[in-house]
Amino acid sequence: MNPKPQNAPRRRDPTTEPVWVRWLLILITIGYLLAMLVLPTVSVFIGGLAKGIQAYLAAVSEEDALAAIRLTLLVAAIAVPLNVVFGLAAAWAIAKFEFRGKSLLITLIDLPFSVSPVISGLIYVLLYSVHGWFGPALDALGIKVVFSATGIVLATIFVTFPFVARELIPLMQEQGTDEEQAAISLGANGFQTFFRVTLPNVTWGLLYGVLLCNARAMGEFGAVSVVSGHIRGLTNTMPLHIEILYNEYDFVGAFAVASLLASLALVTLALKSLLEWRYADRLASGARH
Amino acid sequence: MSITVTGLVKHFDSFAALKGVDLAVRPGEFLALLGPSGSGKTTLLRILAGLEFPDAGQLTIDDVDVSEQGARDRQMGFVFQHYALFKHMTVAQNVAFGLRVKPRKERPSRAEINERVDRLLQLVQLEQLGDRYPTQLSGGQRQRVALARALAIEPRVLLLDEPFGALDAKVRKDLRRWLRGLHDEMGITSIFVSHDQEEALELADRVAVMSEGRIAQIGTPTEIYRNPANAFVCEFLGNTNRLTCRIEKGGAKLGEQFFAAAVPSDAPALPGVAYVRPEDCDIHTEPNAAGLKARVLKIHAAGPAVRVELRRLESDEIIEIHLPPGTDAPDVGSDVALSFRRVRIFPVATA
Repeated sequence: MNPKPQNAPRRRDPTTEPVWVRWLLILITIGYLLAMLVLPTVSVFIGGLAKGIQAYLAAVSEEDALAAIRLTLLVAAIAVPLNVVFGLAAAWAIAKFEFRGKSLLITLIDLPFSVSPVISGLIYVLLYSVHGWFGPALDALGIKVVFSATGIVLATIFVTFPFVARELIPLMQEQGTDEEQAAISLGANGFQTFFRVTLPNVTWGLLYGVLLCNARAMGEFGAVSVVSGHIRGLTNTMPLHIEILYNEYDFVGAFAVASLLASLALVTLALKSLLEWRYADRLASGARH
Repeated sequence: MSITVTGLVKHFDSFAALKGVDLAVRPGEFLALLGPSGSGKTTLLRILAGLEFPDAGQLTIDDVDVSEQGARDRQMGFVFQHYALFKHMTVAQNVAFGLRVKPRKERPSRAEINERVDRLLQLVQLEQLGDRYPTQLSGGQRQRVALARALAIEPRVLLLDEPFGALDAKVRKDLRRWLRGLHDEMGITSIFVSHDQEEALELADRVAVMSEGRIAQIGTPTEIYRNPANAFVCEFLGNTNRLTCRIEKGGAKLGEQFFAAAVPSDAPALPGVAYVRPEDCDIHTEPNAAGLKARVLKIHAAGPAVRVELRRLESDEIIEIHLPPGTDAPDVGSDVALSFRRVRIFPVATA
């Protein structure tokens, strides 16, 4: 037996594929990304600028468009912090305590993911419209939920509810309570333990959850569409405004506002990358995200 | 610091982790809680630290009842099995944590904290690594950071949960010696949990052997090794041969030798187990020698002792015997007679 045949293939890393396989995989990935993600995004910007920068600026600075932008930002500014607080509380409870009905709670948190957003919107109409369960009572108090910003905020909270919690639960479960116990045995109180140990350990997961939650809060269409009533300048968010413009064949206007919405998403992504880069050393030595 | 524990009981759901533990820890001693997994040793340590609360029983430190006190107020230095270092903090920040979270009026100044951290890092020989993060350290280094962090709060007692469990053999031995030195230097009462009998016997002043939620025996390593109180301690501590026998007239015969058992001499005959350590046996190769008959199966001469494996002829039980190096080993396959210098016999009921 010849232990070393003359034309034996050169030794390589057991997990490395031949060159042509590697290139094929890379090409498929890049091609798919270009076709499905990059091209459509770019086309949004091109569509917005089709009639020149003047038309673009006009469409973006038009009064109803500005109102939609303001409302979108307001909704995100209310829904995201609330869901951060809820997400932290839920993740904390699920990861660090044992109690009855825990798996039911986890399932419930996922509910907004499994329910169509239109139904999420309808739930609020059913509950709070003039003919709904709580509608008359709230109406008597002068509070209007459906066809108002309040309803939009509620529907957005419902839809974006799982993002932070879902991101934090596995992270916190994996980390367990060892570090918290260490902090307490070193004399830290509850607040100190939370702010110095628990929170820093989930910073990156939390940030990621916030970004996802924010993107969805600004971009939500279905649920918001049902409760909003599409009152221009009052209850139109950016996605709804884009749809109205598009239905009115104002393509430049629609694409201009759409490009703005896309930019907001790109900014959040850039922000995340910047933070990751800035704290790369901490990242390498600590949490996983 | 003396610690007294009386009647400690702890259940986890239906599992009884501790079934009534009494323990008195002497000031300045290095005590090992030794036992197999599930024997309750870690639960006991966590109750001492205030990380777990007993269902019944009392815990006093220097005659003050602390049963109801939480971990935060107990001022016990706890070193976790997997260290539980704060991943997002540097080594120095980890060590400083216990000082930084003190209430403002007790908190040392920034300069004092830094000085104390430096001193502690020096003590654990990590003065160069204060700026590193825990993930950048080896297991032994992490262990020492955990120790420095626990010592920073000037604990009344140092509690260590499987302090060497996650380390490789070489580091473990070094760290063991170093920790014993540190204990002697600082004079702090220390309690550590271990499932490794060699480690516990080597390191501790006294060893409490735990079994199924109770303390089976407590004593110095020599006492426990030489005079195991029951069959469990016999089997758990070190290599031992287990030979079935029959207890009659207060003892049992092995070969021609009679050994006393801890039973009344007029008790009815009952089955028993004799425990013999491999180093307490002699082999007689001359033909017709008196003793327990056995056949030599294997000889391992590499190592500090010559290990002879034999089969007892009456019962096919395997016996291992250690002969001093240089002794002439018997031939493999030959029949020999065994005599014993030290045997512990317990009735089977308690074995």
